[in-house]
Amino acid sequence: MPARNHKQWTSPPSLKAGEWVDSRIYSDPDIFEEEQEKIFKKVWIPVCHESELPEPYDFRTVSIAREPIIVVRGPDNEVRAFLNVCPHRGMMIERRPSGSFAPAQPSGNPKHMTCMFHAWQFDMKGNCAYISREEEGYQDRIKKEDQGLRRLRCEVKFGGFIWVTLNDQVETTVEEWADGAFDCIREAIDTEPLQVFHYHKAIIGCNYKLWHDTNSEFYHDYMHYHNRVTGFNDEYFARKNIAFGNGHVNVNSFEVKYDQYEGFESRAELSFPTFPPNQWYMIDMFPGMNFNLRGSALRCDVMTPLGPDKVMIEFRGLGLKSDSAEDRQHRIEHHNSIWGPFGRNLHEDLIGVAGQGATMQTGSEPRRILHGRHEDNFIHDEVGMRHFYAEWGKWMDRMPSDPMKKYMAAAE
Amino acid sequence: MNWKRVCAASDVPENTLKRFDIDGIAIVIANYGAGFQGFPPYCPHMEEPLADSGMLDGGILTCSKHLWQWDLRTGEKVGLAEKPLLCYDIKTEGDDVMADLEIELINEYDVEDDMDDDDFFGSD
Repeated sequence: MPARNHKQWTSPPSLKAGEWVDSRIYSDPDIFEEEQEKIFKKVWIPVCHESELPEPYDFRTVSIAREPIIVVRGPDNEVRAFLNVCPHRGMMIERRPSGSFAPAQPSGNPKHMTCMFHAWQFDMKGNCAYISREEEGYQDRIKKEDQGLRRLRCEVKFGGFIWVTLNDQVETTVEEWADGAFDCIREAIDTEPLQVFHYHKAIIGCNYKLWHDTNSEFYHDYMHYHNRVTGFNDEYFARKNIAFGNGHVNVNSFEVKYDQYEGFESRAELSFPTFPPNQWYMIDMFPGMNFNLRGSALRCDVMTPLGPDKVMIEFRGLGLKSDSAEDRQHRIEHHNSIWGPFGRNLHEDLIGVAGQGATMQTGSEPRRILHGRHEDNFIHDEVGMRHFYAEWGKWMDRMPSDPMKKYMAAAE
Repeated sequence: MNWKRVCAASDVPENTLKRFDIDGIAIVIANYGAGFQGFPPYCPHMEEPLADSGMLDGGILTCSKHLWQWDLRTGEKVGLAEKPLLCYDIKTEGDDVMADLEIELINEYDVEDDMDDDDFFGSD
Protein backbone atom coordinates (compact mmCIF):
# COMPACT_ATOMS: atom_id res chain seq x y z
CA MET A 1 0.00 0.00 0.00
CA PRO A 2 1.27 3.44 -0.82
CA ALA A 3 1.76 6.07 1.85
CA ARG A 4 -1.44 7.60 3.15
CA ASN A 5 -2.80 11.10 3.43
CA HIS A 6 -4.31 12.35 6.69
CA LYS A 7 -7.82 11.12 5.96
CA GLN A 8 -6.59 7.67 4.95
CA TRP A 9 -4.20 7.52 7.93
CA THR A 10 -6.97 8.32 10.42
CA SER A 11 -9.74 6.12 9.03
CA PRO A 12 -10.67 2.94 10.91
CA PRO A 13 -8.66 -0.18 10.12
CA SER A 14 -10.20 -3.13 8.34
CA LEU A 15 -10.39 -5.07 11.61
CA LYS A 16 -13.28 -5.74 13.96
CA ALA A 17 -13.93 -3.62 17.04
CA GLY A 18 -11.90 -5.11 19.89
CA GLU A 19 -8.91 -5.62 17.62
CA TRP A 20 -7.37 -2.22 18.18
CA VAL A 21 -7.33 0.53 20.78
CA ASP A 22 -7.41 4.30 20.50
CA SER A 23 -4.04 5.73 21.57
CA ARG A 24 -5.75 8.22 23.87
CA ILE A 25 -6.03 5.41 26.44
CA TYR A 26 -2.23 5.72 26.62
CA SER A 27 -2.05 9.50 26.92
CA ASP A 28 -5.23 11.12 28.20
CA PRO A 29 -4.85 12.70 31.69
CA ASP A 30 -8.52 12.17 32.58
CA ILE A 31 -8.34 8.49 31.69
CA PHE A 32 -5.17 8.18 33.78
CA GLU A 33 -6.89 9.74 36.82
CA GLU A 34 -9.90 7.53 36.33
CA GLU A 35 -7.70 4.42 36.20
CA GLN A 36 -6.27 5.30 39.60
CA GLU A 37 -9.73 5.46 41.13
CA LYS A 38 -11.53 2.71 39.24
CA ILE A 39 -8.74 0.15 38.93
CA PHE A 40 -5.60 0.67 41.01
CA LYS A 41 -7.44 1.61 44.21
CA LYS A 42 -9.68 -1.46 43.85
CA VAL A 43 -7.45 -4.43 43.02
CA TRP A 44 -4.76 -6.55 44.71
CA ILE A 45 -1.20 -5.38 43.97
CA PRO A 46 1.95 -7.41 44.81
CA VAL A 47 3.85 -4.53 46.42
CA CYS A 48 6.96 -6.44 47.51
CA HIS A 49 8.24 -9.86 48.59
CA GLU A 50 8.36 -11.31 52.08
CA SER A 51 12.13 -11.86 51.82
CA GLU A 52 12.53 -8.08 51.75
CA LEU A 53 11.38 -7.99 55.39
CA PRO A 54 12.78 -11.24 56.79
CA GLU A 55 12.99 -10.38 60.51
CA PRO A 56 10.41 -9.17 63.03
CA TYR A 57 10.21 -5.34 63.00
CA ASP A 58 11.54 -5.16 59.41
CA PHE A 59 9.61 -2.86 57.08
CA ARG A 60 9.31 -1.88 53.42
CA THR A 61 7.65 1.27 52.10
CA VAL A 62 5.75 1.25 48.80
CA SER A 63 2.80 3.01 47.20
CA ILE A 64 -0.39 2.26 45.31
CA ALA A 65 -2.18 4.98 43.34
CA ARG A 66 -0.17 7.75 45.09
CA GLU A 67 -1.08 6.44 48.55
CA PRO A 68 2.06 5.78 50.63
CA ILE A 69 2.02 2.34 52.23
CA ILE A 70 4.20 0.66 54.83
CA VAL A 71 4.47 -3.11 55.16
CA VAL A 72 5.85 -4.40 58.47
CA ARG A 73 6.60 -7.79 59.99
CA GLY A 74 5.34 -8.02 63.57
CA PRO A 75 6.93 -9.79 66.54
CA ASP A 76 4.40 -12.56 65.83
CA ASN A 77 5.99 -12.87 62.33
CA GLU A 78 2.77 -11.74 60.64
CA VAL A 79 3.06 -9.25 57.79
CA ARG A 80 0.67 -6.32 57.98
CA ALA A 81 0.16 -3.26 55.80
CA PHE A 82 -0.84 0.27 56.76
CA LEU A 83 -1.09 3.65 55.14
CA ASN A 84 2.26 5.30 55.82
CA VAL A 85 0.47 8.39 57.11
CA CYS A 86 0.40 9.81 60.63
CA PRO A 87 -3.15 10.40 61.90
CA HIS A 88 -2.00 13.63 63.57
CA ARG A 89 -0.80 16.02 60.82
CA GLY A 90 -0.66 13.79 57.75
CA MET A 91 3.12 13.40 57.81
CA MET A 92 4.62 10.43 55.99
CA ILE A 93 5.69 8.32 58.95
CA GLU A 94 8.63 6.43 57.46
CA ARG A 95 10.75 7.80 54.63
CA ARG A 96 13.31 5.03 54.18
CA PRO A 97 12.61 2.39 51.49
CA SER A 98 13.32 -0.41 53.95
CA GLY A 99 14.88 -1.05 57.33
CA SER A 100 14.09 -2.20 60.84
CA PHE A 101 12.11 -0.74 63.71
CA ALA A 102 13.93 -2.97 66.22
CA PRO A 103 16.48 -0.29 67.22
CA ALA A 104 15.57 3.11 68.65
CA GLN A 105 14.81 5.88 66.14
CA PRO A 106 16.00 9.48 66.47
CA SER A 107 12.59 10.55 67.85
CA GLY A 108 11.18 7.20 68.92
CA ASN A 109 11.74 4.04 70.85
CA PRO A 110 12.71 0.52 69.80
CA LYS A 111 9.99 -1.72 68.31
CA HIS A 112 7.83 1.22 67.23
CA MET A 113 7.08 3.17 64.07
CA THR A 114 7.65 6.79 64.98
CA CYS A 115 6.46 9.89 63.22
CA MET A 116 9.52 12.09 63.66
CA PHE A 117 7.44 15.27 63.35
CA HIS A 118 5.76 15.19 66.81
CA ALA A 119 6.97 11.80 68.12
CA TRP A 120 3.68 9.91 67.93
CA GLN A 121 4.45 6.19 67.98
CA PHE A 122 2.72 3.07 66.69
CA ASP A 123 3.29 -0.62 67.23
CA MET A 124 3.53 -3.31 64.54
CA LYS A 125 -0.23 -3.91 64.68
CA GLY A 126 -0.90 -0.24 63.97
CA ASN A 127 -2.01 0.58 67.52
CA CYS A 128 -1.09 4.08 68.58
CA ALA A 129 1.29 3.45 71.49
CA TYR A 130 2.32 6.96 72.40
CA ILE A 131 1.11 10.53 71.95
CA SER A 132 3.56 13.04 73.32
CA ARG A 133 2.01 15.21 76.08
CA GLU A 134 -1.33 13.57 75.37
CA GLU A 135 -3.28 14.69 78.42
CA GLU A 136 -1.76 18.16 78.54
CA GLY A 137 -2.91 18.96 75.01
CA TYR A 138 -5.96 16.84 74.39
CA GLN A 139 -7.22 16.32 77.97
CA ASP A 140 -9.68 13.47 77.34
CA ARG A 141 -10.82 14.62 73.89
CA ILE A 142 -8.34 12.52 71.91
CA LYS A 143 -6.83 9.33 73.23
CA LYS A 144 -4.18 7.14 71.72
CA GLU A 145 -6.66 4.26 71.81
CA ASP A 146 -8.57 6.02 68.99
CA GLN A 147 -5.56 7.08 66.93
CA GLY A 148 -4.40 3.84 65.33
CA LEU A 149 -3.05 3.67 61.80
CA ARG A 150 -5.21 2.93 58.74
CA ARG A 151 -4.72 -0.81 58.21
CA LEU A 152 -4.96 -2.33 54.72
CA ARG A 153 -5.90 -5.76 53.54
CA CYS A 154 -2.77 -7.81 52.97
CA GLU A 155 -2.02 -11.40 51.93
CA VAL A 156 1.24 -13.29 51.39
CA LYS A 157 0.64 -15.44 48.32
CA PHE A 158 2.16 -17.10 45.25
CA GLY A 159 5.82 -17.59 46.07
CA GLY A 160 5.82 -15.21 49.03
CA PHE A 161 4.72 -12.00 47.33
CA ILE A 162 2.96 -9.50 49.60
CA TRP A 163 -0.33 -8.44 48.04
CA VAL A 164 -2.06 -5.33 49.32
CA THR A 165 -5.26 -3.59 48.33
CA LEU A 166 -6.61 -0.17 49.29
CA ASN A 167 -10.09 -1.65 48.93
CA ASP A 168 -11.54 -2.91 52.23
CA GLN A 169 -14.54 -4.22 50.28
CA VAL A 170 -12.48 -6.21 47.77
CA GLU A 171 -14.63 -9.09 46.63
CA THR A 172 -11.98 -11.77 46.14
CA THR A 173 -9.06 -13.32 47.97
CA VAL A 174 -5.76 -13.16 46.07
CA GLU A 175 -6.27 -16.82 45.20
CA GLU A 176 -9.69 -16.11 43.69
CA TRP A 177 -8.41 -12.98 41.98
CA ALA A 178 -5.69 -14.95 40.14
CA ASP A 179 -8.33 -17.41 38.88
CA GLY A 180 -5.79 -20.16 38.24
CA ALA A 181 -3.29 -18.06 36.28
CA PHE A 182 -0.51 -19.22 38.64
CA ASP A 183 -1.31 -22.93 38.45
CA CYS A 184 1.35 -23.52 35.80
CA ILE A 185 4.20 -22.48 38.13
CA ARG A 186 2.52 -23.03 41.49
CA GLU A 187 4.62 -25.99 42.59
CA ALA A 188 7.82 -24.40 41.31
CA ILE A 189 7.37 -21.24 43.39
CA ASP A 190 5.56 -22.65 46.45
CA THR A 191 7.59 -25.76 47.24
CA GLU A 192 10.23 -23.83 49.16
CA PRO A 193 10.77 -20.18 50.15
CA LEU A 194 12.03 -17.76 47.53
CA GLN A 195 14.33 -14.81 48.02
CA VAL A 196 14.77 -11.55 46.13
CA PHE A 197 18.32 -11.17 44.85
CA HIS A 198 17.79 -8.40 42.35
CA TYR A 199 15.88 -5.13 42.52
CA HIS A 200 15.94 -2.14 40.26
CA LYS A 201 13.38 0.31 39.05
CA ALA A 202 13.02 2.31 35.89
CA ILE A 203 10.88 5.37 35.22
CA ILE A 204 9.90 5.22 31.58
CA GLY A 205 8.22 7.82 29.44
CA CYS A 206 5.26 5.76 28.37
CA ASN A 207 1.88 4.65 29.63
CA TYR A 208 1.96 1.62 31.94
CA LYS A 209 -0.28 -0.36 29.60
CA LEU A 210 2.32 -0.24 26.85
CA TRP A 211 4.73 -2.16 29.09
CA HIS A 212 1.98 -4.61 29.98
CA ASP A 213 1.15 -5.01 26.27
CA THR A 214 4.78 -5.81 25.53
CA ASN A 215 4.85 -8.40 28.30
CA SER A 216 1.64 -9.88 26.90
CA GLU A 217 2.67 -10.34 23.28
CA PHE A 218 5.50 -12.48 21.91
CA TYR A 219 5.22 -11.25 18.33
CA HIS A 220 7.91 -8.73 19.31
CA ASP A 221 10.44 -11.56 19.63
CA TYR A 222 11.54 -10.19 16.27
CA MET A 223 13.20 -7.48 18.40
CA HIS A 224 14.95 -10.03 20.63
CA TYR A 225 17.82 -11.63 18.76
CA HIS A 226 18.41 -13.86 21.80
CA ASN A 227 14.88 -15.24 21.73
CA ARG A 228 15.04 -15.98 18.00
CA VAL A 229 18.34 -17.84 18.36
CA THR A 230 17.32 -19.85 21.43
CA GLY A 231 13.65 -20.21 20.57
CA PHE A 232 12.22 -19.96 17.09
CA ASN A 233 11.43 -23.62 16.43
CA ASP A 234 8.35 -25.86 16.23
CA GLU A 235 7.98 -26.06 20.00
CA TYR A 236 8.10 -22.29 20.30
CA PHE A 237 5.39 -21.82 17.70
CA ALA A 238 3.26 -24.40 19.54
CA ARG A 239 3.14 -22.27 22.71
CA LYS A 240 -0.33 -21.06 23.54
CA ASN A 241 -1.72 -17.92 25.16
CA ILE A 242 -4.28 -18.85 27.78
CA ALA A 243 -6.83 -16.41 29.17
CA PHE A 244 -8.09 -16.45 32.76
CA GLY A 245 -10.79 -14.49 34.55
CA ASN A 246 -10.18 -10.90 35.69
CA GLY A 247 -8.04 -10.06 32.67
CA HIS A 248 -5.06 -12.30 33.42
CA VAL A 249 -3.26 -14.41 30.82
CA ASN A 250 -0.34 -16.75 30.73
CA VAL A 251 1.82 -18.21 28.03
CA ASN A 252 2.63 -21.85 28.31
CA SER A 253 6.08 -23.28 28.14
CA PHE A 254 8.61 -24.85 25.84
CA GLU A 255 12.24 -25.86 26.20
CA VAL A 256 14.58 -22.94 25.57
CA LYS A 257 17.91 -23.83 23.93
CA TYR A 258 20.09 -21.46 25.91
CA ASP A 259 23.34 -23.00 24.71
CA GLN A 260 22.55 -21.93 21.15
CA TYR A 261 23.39 -18.36 22.13
CA GLU A 262 27.11 -17.76 22.34
CA GLY A 263 28.34 -17.54 25.93
CA PHE A 264 25.10 -18.86 27.45
CA GLU A 265 24.65 -22.20 29.18
CA SER A 266 21.82 -24.59 29.89
CA ARG A 267 19.88 -23.69 33.03
CA ALA A 268 18.70 -27.25 33.65
CA GLU A 269 20.71 -27.82 36.83
CA LEU A 270 19.21 -24.83 38.60
CA SER A 271 15.58 -25.33 37.62
CA PHE A 272 13.08 -24.31 40.28
CA PRO A 273 11.67 -27.25 42.30
CA THR A 274 9.63 -29.75 40.22
CA PHE A 275 10.23 -27.61 37.12
CA PRO A 276 11.35 -29.48 33.97
CA PRO A 277 14.66 -28.27 32.52
CA ASN A 278 14.87 -24.93 30.69
CA GLN A 279 11.12 -24.28 30.69
CA TRP A 280 9.74 -20.77 30.42
CA TYR A 281 6.33 -19.64 31.65
CA MET A 282 4.99 -16.10 31.67
CA ILE A 283 2.03 -14.79 33.66
CA ASP A 284 0.50 -11.37 33.06
CA MET A 285 -1.82 -10.13 35.77
CA PHE A 286 -4.35 -7.37 35.31
CA PRO A 287 -3.81 -4.43 35.64
CA GLY A 288 -0.01 -4.41 35.36
CA MET A 289 2.10 -7.15 36.92
CA ASN A 290 4.18 -9.80 35.26
CA PHE A 291 5.68 -13.02 36.60
CA ASN A 292 8.24 -14.61 34.34
CA LEU A 293 9.91 -17.90 35.21
CA ARG A 294 12.80 -18.85 32.96
CA GLY A 295 13.82 -22.15 34.55
CA SER A 296 16.38 -20.98 37.06
CA ALA A 297 15.25 -17.44 37.88
CA LEU A 298 11.91 -15.75 38.49
CA ARG A 299 11.38 -12.18 37.40
CA CYS A 300 8.52 -10.01 38.62
CA ASP A 301 7.59 -6.60 37.19
CA VAL A 302 5.22 -4.36 39.09
CA MET A 303 4.04 -1.19 37.43
CA THR A 304 3.07 1.99 39.23
CA PRO A 305 1.58 4.51 36.81
CA LEU A 306 2.93 7.98 37.60
CA GLY A 307 1.12 9.88 34.88
CA PRO A 308 -0.61 9.31 31.54
CA ASP A 309 2.77 8.98 29.85
CA LYS A 310 5.03 8.00 32.74
CA VAL A 311 5.37 4.70 34.57
CA MET A 312 7.62 3.36 37.31
CA ILE A 313 8.48 -0.29 36.77
CA GLU A 314 10.00 -2.23 39.64
CA PHE A 315 11.94 -5.32 38.61
CA ARG A 316 12.69 -8.09 41.04
CA GLY A 317 14.72 -11.23 40.46
CA LEU A 318 14.22 -14.21 42.74
CA GLY A 319 15.96 -17.47 43.52
CA LEU A 320 15.58 -20.06 46.25
CA LYS A 321 16.26 -18.98 49.81
CA SER A 322 18.21 -22.22 50.26
CA ASP A 323 20.66 -21.42 47.42
CA SER A 324 24.35 -22.03 48.06
CA ALA A 325 26.55 -19.02 47.31
CA GLU A 326 27.70 -20.66 44.09
CA ASP A 327 24.19 -21.55 42.89
CA ARG A 328 23.00 -18.06 43.72
CA GLN A 329 25.81 -16.55 41.67
CA HIS A 330 24.79 -18.67 38.66
CA ARG A 331 21.15 -17.71 39.09
CA ILE A 332 22.11 -14.03 39.22
CA GLU A 333 24.11 -14.46 36.01
CA HIS A 334 21.17 -16.23 34.35
CA HIS A 335 18.84 -13.44 35.46
CA ASN A 336 21.07 -10.49 34.66
CA SER A 337 22.34 -11.77 31.31
CA ILE A 338 18.79 -11.53 29.93
CA TRP A 339 16.85 -9.25 32.27
CA GLY A 340 19.40 -7.07 34.03
CA PRO A 341 19.73 -3.42 32.99
CA PHE A 342 22.79 -4.48 30.97
CA GLY A 343 21.32 -7.80 29.90
CA ARG A 344 20.32 -9.08 26.51
CA ASN A 345 16.56 -8.38 26.38
CA LEU A 346 15.31 -5.90 28.94
CA HIS A 347 16.64 -2.74 27.34
CA GLU A 348 15.26 -3.85 23.98
CA ASP A 349 11.76 -3.95 25.46
CA LEU A 350 12.34 -0.56 27.07
CA ILE A 351 13.44 0.91 23.74
CA GLY A 352 10.22 -0.44 22.25
CA VAL A 353 7.85 1.11 24.78
CA ALA A 354 9.82 4.36 25.00
CA GLY A 355 9.46 4.68 21.24
CA GLN A 356 5.73 4.15 21.57
CA GLY A 357 5.63 6.67 24.42
CA ALA A 358 7.33 9.22 22.16
CA THR A 359 4.56 8.93 19.56
CA MET A 360 1.72 8.92 22.12
CA GLN A 361 2.33 11.87 24.37
CA THR A 362 -0.48 13.80 25.98
CA GLY A 363 -2.07 15.79 23.16
CA SER A 364 -0.67 13.62 20.35
CA GLU A 365 -3.10 12.94 17.53
CA PRO A 366 -5.18 9.86 18.36
CA ARG A 367 -3.92 6.77 16.56
CA ARG A 368 -5.18 3.24 16.27
CA ILE A 369 -2.94 0.69 17.90
CA LEU A 370 -3.55 -2.76 16.48
CA HIS A 371 -3.75 -6.05 18.35
CA GLY A 372 -5.73 -8.03 15.81
CA ARG A 373 -3.47 -11.01 15.12
CA HIS A 374 -5.38 -14.32 15.24
CA GLU A 375 -3.31 -17.50 15.17
CA ASP A 376 -5.54 -19.93 17.06
CA ASN A 377 -4.13 -18.56 20.36
CA PHE A 378 -0.62 -19.70 19.45
CA ILE A 379 2.40 -17.69 20.48
CA HIS A 380 2.11 -14.74 18.06
CA ASP A 381 -1.66 -14.41 18.49
CA GLU A 382 -2.47 -11.11 20.23
CA VAL A 383 -5.28 -12.55 22.32
CA GLY A 384 -3.44 -11.57 25.53
CA MET A 385 -3.90 -7.86 24.81
CA ARG A 386 -7.47 -8.33 23.58
CA HIS A 387 -8.29 -10.14 26.82
CA PHE A 388 -6.69 -7.37 28.88
CA TYR A 389 -8.58 -4.58 27.10
CA ALA A 390 -11.92 -6.34 27.40
CA GLU A 391 -11.31 -6.33 31.17
CA TRP A 392 -10.04 -2.75 31.15
CA GLY A 393 -13.16 -1.64 29.28
CA LYS A 394 -15.40 -3.23 31.92
CA TRP A 395 -13.59 -1.63 34.88
CA MET A 396 -13.45 1.77 33.17
CA ASP A 397 -16.80 1.61 31.40
CA ARG A 398 -15.07 2.96 28.30
CA MET A 399 -14.54 1.40 24.88
CA PRO A 400 -10.80 0.84 24.40
CA SER A 401 -11.20 1.54 20.69
CA ASP A 402 -13.28 4.67 21.31
CA PRO A 403 -12.70 5.68 24.94
CA MET A 404 -15.22 8.52 24.92
CA LYS A 405 -17.97 5.90 24.49
CA LYS A 406 -19.31 3.54 27.14
CA TYR A 407 -18.10 -0.03 27.15
CA MET A 408 -19.81 -2.62 25.01
CA ALA A 409 -18.50 -6.15 25.04
CA ALA A 410 -16.98 -7.33 21.77
CA ALA A 411 -16.50 -11.00 20.99
CA GLU A 412 -12.98 -11.94 22.02
CA MET B 1 24.09 -12.55 96.87
CA ASN B 2 26.21 -13.03 93.81
CA TRP B 3 28.70 -10.19 93.59
CA LYS B 4 30.39 -9.88 90.21
CA ARG B 5 33.04 -7.48 89.00
CA VAL B 6 31.51 -5.37 86.24
CA CYS B 7 34.32 -2.97 85.34
CA ALA B 8 37.07 -0.77 86.64
CA ALA B 9 35.96 2.54 88.15
CA SER B 10 38.09 4.30 85.55
CA ASP B 11 36.12 2.61 82.72
CA VAL B 12 33.16 4.96 83.38
CA PRO B 13 34.17 8.63 83.69
CA GLU B 14 32.08 11.02 85.78
CA ASN B 15 28.63 11.89 84.37
CA THR B 16 28.72 9.05 81.82
CA LEU B 17 26.95 5.73 81.35
CA LYS B 18 28.32 2.54 79.91
CA ARG B 19 26.72 -0.80 79.13
CA PHE B 20 28.41 -4.10 80.11
CA ASP B 21 27.37 -7.69 79.58
CA ILE B 22 28.32 -9.93 82.52
CA ASP B 23 27.49 -13.64 82.31
CA GLY B 24 24.53 -12.95 80.03
CA ILE B 25 23.15 -10.07 82.08
CA ALA B 26 23.21 -6.62 80.50
CA ILE B 27 23.83 -3.82 83.01
CA VAL B 28 24.41 -0.10 82.61
CA ILE B 29 26.89 1.46 85.04
CA ALA B 30 26.47 5.17 85.71
CA ASN B 31 29.09 7.34 87.39
CA TYR B 32 27.16 10.20 89.01
CA GLY B 33 30.19 11.76 90.71
CA ALA B 34 29.47 10.81 94.29
CA GLY B 35 29.26 7.13 93.36
CA PHE B 36 28.14 4.45 90.89
CA GLN B 37 24.70 3.12 90.13
CA GLY B 38 23.75 0.06 88.04
CA PHE B 39 20.47 -0.74 86.26
CA PRO B 40 18.99 -2.75 83.35
CA PRO B 41 19.83 -1.38 79.91
CA TYR B 42 16.36 -0.19 78.85
CA CYS B 43 14.18 2.68 80.02
CA PRO B 44 11.19 1.34 81.99
CA HIS B 45 8.90 3.48 79.83
CA MET B 46 9.38 2.28 76.20
CA GLU B 47 12.55 0.20 76.07
CA GLU B 48 14.88 3.03 75.07
CA PRO B 49 18.53 1.90 75.36
CA LEU B 50 19.71 4.13 78.22
CA ALA B 51 23.43 3.74 77.57
CA ASP B 52 22.80 5.47 74.20
CA SER B 53 19.97 7.85 75.02
CA GLY B 54 20.41 8.56 78.72
CA MET B 55 21.90 11.87 79.89
CA LEU B 56 23.49 12.21 83.29
CA ASP B 57 23.95 15.45 85.20
CA GLY B 58 24.37 16.05 88.91
CA GLY B 59 23.00 12.68 89.95
CA ILE B 60 19.90 13.01 87.74
CA LEU B 61 19.51 10.53 84.85
CA THR B 62 17.27 11.71 82.00
CA CYS B 63 16.02 9.49 79.18
CA SER B 64 16.22 11.84 76.20
CA LYS B 65 13.14 10.48 74.41
CA HIS B 66 10.31 11.42 76.76
CA LEU B 67 12.31 13.05 79.55
CA TRP B 68 11.63 10.55 82.29
CA GLN B 69 14.12 11.25 85.09
CA TRP B 70 15.50 9.48 88.16
CA ASP B 71 17.71 10.45 91.05
CA LEU B 72 20.53 7.91 90.80
CA ARG B 73 21.38 8.25 94.47
CA THR B 74 18.08 6.55 95.27
CA GLY B 75 16.65 5.23 91.97
CA GLU B 76 13.49 7.23 92.70
CA LYS B 77 11.56 8.91 89.95
CA VAL B 78 11.75 12.64 89.37
CA GLY B 79 9.73 14.95 87.13
CA LEU B 80 7.82 13.20 84.35
CA ALA B 81 8.86 9.63 85.17
CA GLU B 82 5.96 7.36 85.99
CA LYS B 83 7.94 4.31 87.08
CA PRO B 84 11.02 3.94 89.28
CA LEU B 85 14.35 2.81 87.85
CA LEU B 86 15.09 -0.74 88.94
CA CYS B 87 18.62 -0.74 90.37
CA TYR B 88 21.15 -3.39 91.28
CA ASP B 89 23.10 -3.32 94.52
CA ILE B 90 26.45 -1.77 93.64
CA LYS B 91 29.67 -1.45 95.61
CA THR B 92 33.27 -0.59 94.86
CA GLU B 93 36.21 -2.68 96.00
CA GLY B 94 39.49 -0.95 95.34
CA ASP B 95 39.28 0.05 91.67
CA ASP B 96 36.55 -2.49 90.87
CA VAL B 97 32.85 -1.75 90.45
CA MET B 98 30.87 -4.74 91.71
CA ALA B 99 27.17 -5.60 91.25
CA ASP B 100 24.97 -8.19 92.89
CA LEU B 101 23.70 -10.12 89.84
CA GLU B 102 21.92 -12.87 91.80
CA ILE B 103 18.64 -12.00 90.04
CA GLU B 104 18.38 -10.23 86.68
CA LEU B 105 16.16 -7.18 86.93
CA ILE B 106 13.63 -7.00 84.11
CA ASN B 107 11.23 -4.17 83.34
CA GLU B 108 7.65 -5.00 82.51
CA TYR B 109 6.24 -3.29 79.45
CA ASP B 110 2.77 -2.96 78.03
CA VAL B 111 2.61 -5.75 75.48
CA GLU B 112 1.06 -5.25 72.07
CA ASP B 113 -2.47 -6.40 72.17
CA ASP B 114 -1.95 -10.04 71.27
CA MET B 115 -5.48 -10.77 70.19
CA ASP B 116 -5.70 -12.69 66.95
CA ASP B 117 -6.48 -10.03 64.38
CA ASP B 118 -6.99 -12.22 61.33
CA ASP B 119 -10.61 -11.12 61.06
CA PHE B 120 -9.76 -7.43 61.42
CA PHE B 121 -11.76 -6.54 58.32
CA GLY B 122 -14.67 -8.79 59.18
CA SER B 123 -16.24 -11.16 56.74
CA ASP B 124 -18.19 -8.66 54.67
